[in-house]
Amino acid sequence: MIEQDLISKVVSLEDYSQKKFDTIIKVENLFAYFGELKALDNISLSIPKNSVTAIIGPSGCGKSTFLRCLNKMHQEIGGTTEGKIYYNGIDIENIDPVILRRNIGMVFQKPNPFPTMSIINNVVAGLKYNGVRDKKLLNEIAEICLKKVGLWEEVKDNLNRSGASLSGGQQQRLCIARTLTVNPEVILMDEPTSALDPIATTKIEDLIYELKKDYTIIIVTHNMQQAARVSDYTAFFYMGRLIEFSDTKKIFTNPSNKQTEEYISGRFG
Amino acid sequence: MQIHFTNEIENLKTNLIKMASLVDEQVEKAIVSLETGNVDLCKGIKAKDLEIDAYDNLIQTQCENILALFQPVAADLRFIISTMMINNQLERCGDIAVNIAQRVKKTKEYNSLVVESQISEMGKQARQMLKLAIDSFIYGDSQLAENVIKNDEIVDNLNKQAFHFLVSKMQSNPTLIEPAAHLIVLTRHIERLADHATNIAEDLVFYVEAKIISHKKKLQKLSNKGEEDN
Repeated sequence: MIEQDLISKVVSLEDYSQKKFDTIIKVENLFAYFGELKALDNISLSIPKNSVTAIIGPSGCGKSTFLRCLNKMHQEIGGTTEGKIYYNGIDIENIDPVILRRNIGMVFQKPNPFPTMSIINNVVAGLKYNGVRDKKLLNEIAEICLKKVGLWEEVKDNLNRSGASLSGGQQQRLCIARTLTVNPEVILMDEPTSALDPIATTKIEDLIYELKKDYTIIIVTHNMQQAARVSDYTAFFYMGRLIEFSDTKKIFTNPSNKQTEEYISGRFG
Repeated sequence: MQIHFTNEIENLKTNLIKMASLVDEQVEKAIVSLETGNVDLCKGIKAKDLEIDAYDNLIQTQCENILALFQPVAADLRFIISTMMINNQLERCGDIAVNIAQRVKKTKEYNSLVVESQISEMGKQARQMLKLAIDSFIYGDSQLAENVIKNDEIVDNLNKQAFHFLVSKMQSNPTLIEPAAHLIVLTRHIERLADHATNIAEDLVFYVEAKIISHKKKLQKLSNKGEEDN
Protein backbone atom coordinates (compact mmCIF):
# COMPACT_ATOMS: atom_id res chain seq x y z
CA MET A 1 0.00 0.00 0.00
CA ILE A 2 1.45 3.37 -1.02
CA GLU A 3 1.21 6.19 1.51
CA GLN A 4 -1.32 8.70 0.18
CA ASP A 5 0.50 11.48 2.06
CA LEU A 6 3.71 10.76 0.21
CA ILE A 7 1.91 10.79 -3.14
CA SER A 8 0.21 14.14 -2.44
CA LYS A 9 3.55 15.58 -1.28
CA VAL A 10 5.29 14.49 -4.47
CA VAL A 11 2.46 15.70 -6.70
CA SER A 12 2.55 19.18 -5.13
CA LEU A 13 6.35 19.28 -4.86
CA GLU A 14 6.92 22.27 -7.10
CA ASP A 15 3.80 24.20 -6.15
CA TYR A 16 5.19 26.87 -3.84
CA SER A 17 2.13 29.07 -4.29
CA GLN A 18 0.15 26.72 -2.03
CA LYS A 19 2.43 27.42 0.92
CA LYS A 20 0.60 29.50 3.53
CA PHE A 21 2.17 31.58 6.28
CA ASP A 22 1.23 34.03 9.04
CA THR A 23 2.49 37.54 8.37
CA ILE A 24 4.35 39.37 11.13
CA ILE A 25 5.52 42.40 9.15
CA LYS A 26 3.70 43.76 6.14
CA VAL A 27 5.36 46.35 3.94
CA GLU A 28 3.23 48.34 1.50
CA ASN A 29 4.57 50.63 -1.22
CA LEU A 30 7.63 51.61 0.77
CA PHE A 31 9.95 54.31 -0.56
CA ALA A 32 13.09 55.34 1.33
CA TYR A 33 15.27 58.36 0.66
CA PHE A 34 18.58 59.83 1.74
CA GLY A 35 17.91 63.47 0.88
CA GLU A 36 17.11 63.42 -2.84
CA LEU A 37 18.52 59.94 -3.36
CA LYS A 38 15.90 57.20 -3.63
CA ALA A 39 17.24 54.11 -1.85
CA LEU A 40 14.05 52.03 -1.94
CA ASP A 41 11.52 52.14 -4.73
CA ASN A 42 7.99 50.95 -4.02
CA ILE A 43 8.66 47.82 -1.96
CA SER A 44 5.72 45.63 -0.97
CA LEU A 45 6.14 42.30 0.77
CA SER A 46 4.99 40.27 3.74
CA ILE A 47 7.46 38.74 6.17
CA PRO A 48 6.38 35.27 7.36
CA LYS A 49 6.32 34.65 11.12
CA ASN A 50 8.73 32.20 12.80
CA SER A 51 10.85 31.81 9.76
CA VAL A 52 14.08 33.16 8.34
CA THR A 53 13.84 35.62 5.47
CA ALA A 54 17.04 36.46 3.62
CA ILE A 55 17.50 39.74 1.78
CA ILE A 56 20.03 39.42 -1.03
CA GLY A 57 21.27 41.71 -3.77
CA PRO A 58 24.39 43.55 -4.96
CA SER A 59 25.95 46.39 -2.96
CA GLY A 60 23.83 49.53 -2.92
CA CYS A 61 20.59 47.71 -3.80
CA GLY A 62 18.85 48.86 -0.60
CA LYS A 63 19.05 45.69 1.51
CA SER A 64 20.34 47.34 4.68
CA THR A 65 18.14 50.40 4.17
CA PHE A 66 15.13 48.10 3.99
CA LEU A 67 16.20 46.41 7.22
CA ARG A 68 16.67 49.75 8.95
CA CYS A 69 13.22 50.92 7.85
CA LEU A 70 11.62 48.01 9.68
CA ASN A 71 12.59 49.34 13.13
CA LYS A 72 12.66 53.03 12.19
CA MET A 73 16.46 53.20 12.28
CA HIS A 74 16.46 54.74 8.80
CA GLN A 75 14.89 57.92 10.13
CA GLU A 76 17.39 57.85 13.01
CA ILE A 77 20.27 58.28 10.55
CA GLY A 78 18.62 61.12 8.68
CA GLY A 79 16.61 59.24 6.06
CA THR A 80 12.96 59.67 5.15
CA THR A 81 10.31 57.16 4.10
CA GLU A 82 6.94 56.98 2.36
CA GLY A 83 4.52 54.07 2.42
CA LYS A 84 3.39 51.79 5.20
CA ILE A 85 4.99 49.18 7.42
CA TYR A 86 2.73 47.15 9.69
CA TYR A 87 4.06 45.15 12.62
CA ASN A 88 1.45 42.63 13.79
CA GLY A 89 -1.14 44.70 11.93
CA ILE A 90 -0.17 48.02 13.59
CA ASP A 91 1.30 50.85 11.55
CA ILE A 92 4.82 51.32 13.00
CA GLU A 93 4.37 55.09 12.74
CA ASN A 94 2.02 54.67 15.70
CA ILE A 95 4.54 52.71 17.78
CA ASP A 96 7.12 54.39 20.01
CA PRO A 97 10.59 53.71 18.49
CA VAL A 98 11.96 52.36 21.80
CA ILE A 99 9.09 49.90 22.14
CA LEU A 100 9.34 48.99 18.45
CA ARG A 101 13.08 48.24 18.76
CA ARG A 102 12.46 46.16 21.86
CA ASN A 103 10.16 44.01 19.72
CA ILE A 104 12.28 44.20 16.58
CA GLY A 105 15.90 43.78 17.71
CA MET A 106 18.94 44.23 15.55
CA VAL A 107 22.33 42.55 15.16
CA PHE A 108 24.98 44.36 13.14
CA GLN A 109 27.72 43.34 10.73
CA LYS A 110 30.55 44.04 13.15
CA PRO A 111 30.11 42.63 16.65
CA ASN A 112 29.67 45.64 18.92
CA PRO A 113 29.91 44.69 22.59
CA PHE A 114 30.22 47.67 24.92
CA PRO A 115 34.00 47.68 25.37
CA THR A 116 34.11 48.88 28.94
CA MET A 117 31.46 46.44 30.17
CA SER A 118 31.88 42.87 31.42
CA ILE A 119 30.30 39.93 29.54
CA ILE A 120 27.37 39.77 31.96
CA ASN A 121 26.77 43.53 31.88
CA ASN A 122 26.89 43.48 28.11
CA VAL A 123 24.13 40.87 28.03
CA VAL A 124 21.82 42.67 30.45
CA ALA A 125 22.56 46.23 29.26
CA GLY A 126 19.22 46.43 27.44
CA LEU A 127 17.28 45.22 30.47
CA LYS A 128 19.05 47.73 32.74
CA TYR A 129 18.29 50.48 30.23
CA ASN A 130 14.66 49.44 30.47
CA GLY A 131 14.72 49.81 34.26
CA VAL A 132 15.24 46.26 35.50
CA ARG A 133 17.34 46.39 38.71
CA ASP A 134 16.78 42.98 40.35
CA LYS A 135 20.28 41.41 40.22
CA LYS A 136 19.04 37.84 40.63
CA LEU A 137 16.56 38.29 37.78
CA LEU A 138 19.22 39.92 35.58
CA ASN A 139 21.61 37.00 36.20
CA GLU A 140 18.89 34.44 35.45
CA ILE A 141 17.93 36.11 32.17
CA ALA A 142 21.60 36.47 31.21
CA GLU A 143 22.15 32.75 31.76
CA ILE A 144 19.05 31.81 29.71
CA CYS A 145 20.08 34.06 26.83
CA LEU A 146 23.73 32.98 26.88
CA LYS A 147 22.53 29.37 26.80
CA LYS A 148 20.22 30.15 23.87
CA VAL A 149 23.17 31.45 21.83
CA GLY A 150 25.40 28.55 22.91
CA LEU A 151 27.86 30.82 24.74
CA TRP A 152 27.12 29.89 28.35
CA GLU A 153 29.53 26.95 28.59
CA GLU A 154 32.30 29.03 27.06
CA VAL A 155 31.96 32.05 29.38
CA LYS A 156 30.20 30.92 32.57
CA ASP A 157 33.45 30.96 34.60
CA ASN A 158 34.52 34.39 33.35
CA LEU A 159 31.35 36.43 33.31
CA ASN A 160 33.11 39.48 34.70
CA ARG A 161 35.74 39.52 31.99
CA SER A 162 35.48 42.31 29.43
CA GLY A 163 33.11 41.58 26.55
CA ALA A 164 35.77 42.86 24.18
CA SER A 165 38.14 40.05 25.27
CA LEU A 166 36.01 37.45 23.46
CA SER A 167 36.75 36.24 19.91
CA GLY A 168 34.83 37.80 17.01
CA GLY A 169 32.40 34.89 16.79
CA GLN A 170 31.82 34.89 20.54
CA GLN A 171 31.30 38.65 20.51
CA GLN A 172 28.66 38.30 17.80
CA ARG A 173 26.84 35.62 19.82
CA LEU A 174 27.12 37.91 22.86
CA CYS A 175 25.41 40.66 20.85
CA ILE A 176 22.66 38.25 19.82
CA ALA A 177 22.23 37.24 23.50
CA ARG A 178 21.97 40.94 24.37
CA THR A 179 19.22 41.32 21.74
CA LEU A 180 17.33 38.33 23.16
CA THR A 181 17.20 39.62 26.76
CA VAL A 182 14.44 42.11 26.00
CA ASN A 183 12.43 39.29 24.44
CA PRO A 184 11.96 40.56 20.88
CA GLU A 185 9.66 38.90 18.36
CA VAL A 186 11.74 39.80 15.33
CA ILE A 187 15.53 39.91 14.97
CA LEU A 188 17.07 41.89 12.13
CA MET A 189 20.57 40.75 11.18
CA ASP A 190 22.70 42.90 8.92
CA GLU A 191 25.44 40.66 7.49
CA PRO A 192 26.03 39.09 10.90
CA THR A 193 28.83 36.77 9.76
CA SER A 194 30.72 38.83 7.20
CA ALA A 195 33.46 39.61 9.75
CA LEU A 196 33.69 36.01 11.01
CA ASP A 197 35.72 32.91 10.07
CA PRO A 198 33.97 29.77 8.70
CA ILE A 199 33.71 28.04 12.11
CA ALA A 200 32.22 31.09 13.83
CA THR A 201 29.93 31.53 10.80
CA THR A 202 28.67 27.96 11.14
CA LYS A 203 27.90 28.56 14.82
CA ILE A 204 25.87 31.67 13.98
CA GLU A 205 24.05 29.83 11.18
CA ASP A 206 23.21 26.95 13.53
CA LEU A 207 22.00 29.52 16.03
CA ILE A 208 19.75 31.16 13.42
CA TYR A 209 18.27 27.72 12.69
CA GLU A 210 17.56 27.19 16.42
CA LEU A 211 16.21 30.72 16.99
CA LYS A 212 13.59 30.59 14.25
CA LYS A 213 11.45 28.30 16.44
CA ASP A 214 10.83 31.27 18.75
CA TYR A 215 11.68 34.31 16.66
CA THR A 216 11.25 35.73 13.20
CA ILE A 217 14.61 36.50 11.63
CA ILE A 218 15.33 38.80 8.71
CA ILE A 219 18.92 38.55 7.55
CA VAL A 220 20.79 40.66 5.03
CA THR A 221 23.63 38.69 3.51
CA HIS A 222 26.10 38.97 0.68
CA ASN A 223 26.82 35.30 0.93
CA MET A 224 24.46 33.57 -1.47
CA GLN A 225 25.14 30.12 -0.06
CA GLN A 226 24.38 31.41 3.42
CA ALA A 227 21.00 32.69 2.23
CA ALA A 228 20.36 29.28 0.66
CA ARG A 229 21.44 27.42 3.81
CA VAL A 230 19.69 29.39 6.54
CA SER A 231 16.60 31.00 5.09
CA ASP A 232 13.08 29.79 4.36
CA TYR A 233 12.24 32.77 2.16
CA THR A 234 14.45 34.99 0.04
CA ALA A 235 13.92 38.49 -1.31
CA PHE A 236 16.14 39.70 -4.14
CA PHE A 237 16.66 43.47 -4.29
CA TYR A 238 18.22 45.32 -7.21
CA MET A 239 18.66 49.08 -7.51
CA GLY A 240 16.20 49.75 -4.73
CA ARG A 241 13.51 47.52 -6.17
CA LEU A 242 12.22 44.18 -4.99
CA ILE A 243 12.77 41.93 -8.00
CA GLU A 244 11.57 38.65 -6.55
CA PHE A 245 10.37 37.30 -3.22
CA SER A 246 9.71 33.61 -2.85
CA ASP A 247 10.42 30.36 -1.09
CA THR A 248 14.22 30.01 -0.85
CA LYS A 249 14.07 26.58 -2.53
CA LYS A 250 12.32 28.14 -5.51
CA ILE A 251 14.70 31.12 -5.70
CA PHE A 252 17.75 28.85 -5.78
CA THR A 253 16.37 26.13 -8.04
CA ASN A 254 13.99 27.84 -10.42
CA PRO A 255 13.65 31.61 -9.92
CA SER A 256 10.86 33.27 -11.88
CA ASN A 257 12.88 36.33 -12.80
CA LYS A 258 15.84 36.33 -15.19
CA GLN A 259 17.69 38.98 -13.16
CA THR A 260 17.38 36.83 -10.03
CA GLU A 261 18.76 33.82 -11.90
CA GLU A 262 21.70 35.84 -13.24
CA TYR A 263 22.49 37.26 -9.80
CA ILE A 264 22.31 34.01 -7.82
CA SER A 265 24.37 32.17 -10.44
CA GLY A 266 27.05 34.89 -10.28
CA ARG A 267 26.51 36.32 -13.76
CA PHE A 268 26.14 39.89 -12.54
CA GLY A 269 26.29 42.01 -9.40
CA MET B 1 35.58 32.80 -11.65
CA GLN B 2 32.62 33.03 -14.00
CA ILE B 3 34.83 32.33 -17.05
CA HIS B 4 36.39 29.37 -15.26
CA PHE B 5 32.93 28.01 -14.41
CA THR B 6 31.61 28.51 -17.96
CA ASN B 7 34.64 26.66 -19.36
CA GLU B 8 34.06 23.75 -16.98
CA ILE B 9 30.39 23.53 -18.02
CA GLU B 10 31.28 23.71 -21.73
CA ASN B 11 33.90 21.02 -21.29
CA LEU B 12 31.39 18.80 -19.49
CA LYS B 13 28.78 19.32 -22.19
CA THR B 14 31.33 18.49 -24.92
CA ASN B 15 32.23 15.23 -23.19
CA LEU B 16 28.59 14.25 -22.79
CA ILE B 17 27.96 14.95 -26.49
CA LYS B 18 31.00 12.86 -27.45
CA MET B 19 29.77 10.03 -25.28
CA ALA B 20 26.24 10.34 -26.71
CA SER B 21 27.59 10.17 -30.29
CA LEU B 22 29.57 7.07 -29.40
CA VAL B 23 26.52 5.41 -27.85
CA ASP B 24 24.42 6.38 -30.87
CA GLU B 25 26.97 4.75 -33.22
CA GLN B 26 27.11 1.58 -31.13
CA VAL B 27 23.32 1.30 -30.97
CA GLU B 28 23.03 1.96 -34.71
CA LYS B 29 25.48 -0.84 -35.51
CA ALA B 30 23.67 -3.26 -33.20
CA ILE B 31 20.21 -2.45 -34.58
CA VAL B 32 21.30 -2.57 -38.26
CA SER B 33 23.02 -5.91 -37.67
CA LEU B 34 19.77 -7.15 -36.10
CA GLU B 35 17.74 -5.97 -39.11
CA THR B 36 20.14 -7.38 -41.70
CA GLY B 37 21.65 -10.32 -39.85
CA ASN B 38 25.07 -8.92 -40.75
CA VAL B 39 27.10 -9.96 -37.72
CA ASP B 40 30.25 -8.32 -39.08
CA LEU B 41 28.78 -5.02 -37.98
CA CYS B 42 28.84 -6.27 -34.40
CA LYS B 43 32.59 -6.65 -34.40
CA GLY B 44 34.25 -4.20 -32.08
CA ILE B 45 31.05 -3.17 -30.26
CA LYS B 46 32.16 -4.80 -27.01
CA ALA B 47 35.66 -3.29 -27.15
CA LYS B 48 34.27 0.15 -27.94
CA ASP B 49 31.95 -0.06 -24.93
CA LEU B 50 35.00 0.43 -22.72
CA GLU B 51 35.37 3.90 -24.20
CA ILE B 52 31.78 4.67 -23.15
CA ASP B 53 32.55 3.40 -19.65
CA ALA B 54 35.58 5.70 -19.52
CA TYR B 55 33.39 8.69 -20.47
CA ASP B 56 30.95 7.62 -17.76
CA ASN B 57 33.66 7.88 -15.10
CA LEU B 58 35.08 11.08 -16.53
CA ILE B 59 31.69 12.85 -16.62
CA GLN B 60 30.81 11.68 -13.13
CA THR B 61 34.09 13.08 -11.79
CA GLN B 62 33.62 16.36 -13.66
CA CYS B 63 30.12 16.76 -12.19
CA GLU B 64 31.40 16.01 -8.69
CA ASN B 65 34.17 18.59 -9.08
CA ILE B 66 31.83 21.29 -10.37
CA LEU B 67 29.39 20.69 -7.51
CA ALA B 68 32.18 20.80 -4.93
CA LEU B 69 34.04 23.79 -6.33
CA PHE B 70 31.36 26.06 -7.77
CA GLN B 71 28.13 25.17 -5.90
CA PRO B 72 25.95 25.93 -8.94
CA VAL B 73 22.32 26.96 -8.50
CA ALA B 74 19.14 27.16 -10.58
CA ALA B 75 19.62 26.27 -14.29
CA ASP B 76 23.33 25.52 -13.77
CA LEU B 77 22.49 23.10 -10.97
CA ARG B 78 19.77 21.45 -13.04
CA PHE B 79 22.25 21.08 -15.90
CA ILE B 80 24.70 19.20 -13.65
CA ILE B 81 21.97 17.00 -12.17
CA SER B 82 20.50 16.15 -15.58
CA THR B 83 23.98 15.53 -17.00
CA MET B 84 24.65 13.01 -14.21
CA MET B 85 21.37 11.25 -14.91
CA ILE B 86 21.78 11.30 -18.71
CA ASN B 87 25.34 10.00 -18.32
CA ASN B 88 23.97 7.05 -16.40
CA GLN B 89 21.29 6.36 -19.03
CA LEU B 90 23.80 6.55 -21.89
CA GLU B 91 26.16 4.12 -20.19
CA ARG B 92 23.30 1.63 -19.92
CA CYS B 93 22.38 2.17 -23.59
CA GLY B 94 25.99 1.27 -24.40
CA ASP B 95 25.62 -1.97 -22.44
CA ILE B 96 22.37 -2.72 -24.29
CA ALA B 97 24.15 -2.30 -27.65
CA VAL B 98 26.65 -4.96 -26.49
CA ASN B 99 23.83 -7.26 -25.36
CA ILE B 100 21.97 -6.88 -28.66
CA ALA B 101 25.15 -7.53 -30.64
CA GLN B 102 25.83 -10.74 -28.67
CA ARG B 103 22.26 -11.94 -29.15
CA VAL B 104 22.25 -11.17 -32.91
CA LYS B 105 25.03 -13.75 -33.39
CA LYS B 106 22.59 -16.38 -32.17
CA THR B 107 19.61 -15.29 -34.29
CA LYS B 108 21.35 -14.40 -37.57
CA GLU B 109 19.81 -17.40 -39.36
CA TYR B 110 16.28 -16.25 -38.52
CA ASN B 111 16.11 -12.88 -40.20
CA SER B 112 12.61 -13.50 -41.55
CA LEU B 113 11.39 -14.06 -37.99
CA VAL B 114 12.97 -10.75 -36.95
CA VAL B 115 11.06 -8.94 -39.69
CA GLU B 116 7.74 -10.82 -39.25
CA SER B 117 7.70 -10.28 -35.47
CA GLN B 118 8.31 -6.56 -36.14
CA ILE B 119 11.42 -6.65 -33.95
CA SER B 120 13.31 -4.85 -36.71
CA GLU B 121 10.65 -2.11 -36.68
CA MET B 122 10.79 -1.97 -32.90
CA GLY B 123 14.60 -1.61 -33.09
CA LYS B 124 14.29 1.22 -35.64
CA GLN B 125 11.80 3.06 -33.43
CA ALA B 126 13.90 2.68 -30.27
CA ARG B 127 17.05 3.79 -32.06
CA GLN B 128 15.24 6.83 -33.48
CA MET B 129 13.96 7.67 -29.99
CA LEU B 130 17.50 7.57 -28.62
CA LYS B 131 18.80 9.71 -31.47
CA LEU B 132 16.08 12.33 -30.94
CA ALA B 133 16.58 12.29 -27.16
CA ILE B 134 20.28 13.02 -27.71
CA ASP B 135 19.37 15.79 -30.19
CA SER B 136 16.95 17.27 -27.66
CA PHE B 137 19.84 17.48 -25.18
CA ILE B 138 22.25 19.01 -27.68
CA TYR B 139 19.75 21.70 -28.72
CA GLY B 140 18.02 22.06 -25.32
CA ASP B 141 14.73 21.35 -27.13
CA SER B 142 12.09 20.26 -24.60
CA GLN B 143 9.36 19.99 -27.28
CA LEU B 144 11.44 17.40 -29.11
CA ALA B 145 12.03 15.61 -25.79
CA GLU B 146 8.29 15.44 -25.16
CA ASN B 147 7.75 13.87 -28.59
CA VAL B 148 10.32 11.21 -27.67
CA ILE B 149 8.42 10.45 -24.47
CA LYS B 150 5.17 9.99 -26.41
CA ASN B 151 6.84 7.51 -28.78
CA ASP B 152 7.64 5.12 -25.93
CA GLU B 153 4.11 3.78 -26.22
CA ILE B 154 4.73 2.72 -29.83
CA VAL B 155 7.71 0.62 -28.75
CA ASP B 156 5.77 -0.85 -25.82
CA ASN B 157 2.96 -1.92 -28.17
CA LEU B 158 5.39 -3.42 -30.68
CA ASN B 159 7.00 -5.29 -27.79
CA LYS B 160 3.67 -6.83 -26.78
CA GLN B 161 2.87 -7.78 -30.38
CA ALA B 162 6.31 -9.35 -30.90
CA PHE B 163 5.96 -11.33 -27.68
CA HIS B 164 2.58 -12.80 -28.70
CA PHE B 165 3.81 -13.49 -32.22
CA LEU B 166 6.92 -15.32 -30.96
CA VAL B 167 4.98 -17.34 -28.37
CA SER B 168 2.54 -18.50 -31.04
CA LYS B 169 5.48 -19.43 -33.30
CA MET B 170 7.02 -21.50 -30.51
CA GLN B 171 3.69 -23.25 -29.92
CA SER B 172 3.20 -24.06 -33.57
CA ASN B 173 6.78 -25.03 -34.36
CA PRO B 174 8.96 -26.38 -31.52
CA THR B 175 12.11 -26.09 -33.66
CA LEU B 176 11.71 -22.33 -33.37
CA ILE B 177 11.72 -22.37 -29.56
CA GLU B 178 15.41 -21.55 -29.19
CA PRO B 179 15.65 -18.70 -31.71
CA ALA B 180 12.30 -17.30 -30.58
CA ALA B 181 13.50 -17.33 -26.96
CA HIS B 182 16.60 -15.39 -28.03
CA LEU B 183 14.38 -12.95 -29.87
CA ILE B 184 12.15 -12.42 -26.81
CA VAL B 185 15.27 -11.50 -24.83
CA LEU B 186 16.19 -9.14 -27.68
CA THR B 187 12.81 -7.41 -27.51
CA ARG B 188 13.42 -6.89 -23.80
CA HIS B 189 16.74 -5.17 -24.58
CA ILE B 190 15.14 -2.96 -27.22
CA GLU B 191 12.27 -2.07 -24.93
CA ARG B 192 14.82 -1.01 -22.26
CA LEU B 193 16.62 1.05 -24.89
CA ALA B 194 13.40 3.00 -25.52
CA ASP B 195 12.93 3.41 -21.75
CA HIS B 196 16.42 4.90 -21.41
CA ALA B 197 15.72 7.26 -24.33
CA THR B 198 12.51 8.29 -22.52
CA ASN B 199 14.47 8.88 -19.32
CA ILE B 200 17.00 11.04 -21.17
CA ALA B 201 14.14 13.09 -22.62
CA GLU B 202 12.60 13.48 -19.15
CA ASP B 203 15.97 14.60 -17.75
CA LEU B 204 16.19 17.20 -20.51
CA VAL B 205 12.71 18.53 -19.65
CA PHE B 206 13.88 18.79 -16.02
CA TYR B 207 16.90 20.82 -17.12
CA VAL B 208 15.07 23.16 -19.47
CA GLU B 209 11.73 23.58 -17.71
CA ALA B 210 12.57 22.77 -14.07
CA LYS B 211 9.79 20.18 -14.01
CA ILE B 212 10.03 16.59 -12.84
CA ILE B 213 7.76 14.77 -15.27
CA SER B 214 8.79 11.15 -14.69
CA HIS B 215 6.08 9.08 -12.95
CA LYS B 216 3.94 12.24 -12.83
CA LYS B 217 0.88 10.81 -14.63
CA LYS B 218 0.75 7.68 -12.51
CA LEU B 219 1.20 9.64 -9.26
CA GLN B 220 -1.43 12.21 -10.26
CA LYS B 221 -3.84 9.35 -10.98
CA LEU B 222 -3.17 7.80 -7.57
CA SER B 223 -3.48 11.20 -5.88
CA ASN B 224 -6.84 11.85 -7.56
CA LYS B 225 -8.00 8.37 -6.60
CA GLY B 226 -6.98 9.02 -2.97
CA GLU B 227 -8.99 12.25 -2.93
CA GLU B 228 -12.02 10.43 -4.31
CA ASP B 229 -11.70 7.66 -1.69
CA ASN B 230 -11.57 10.27 1.08
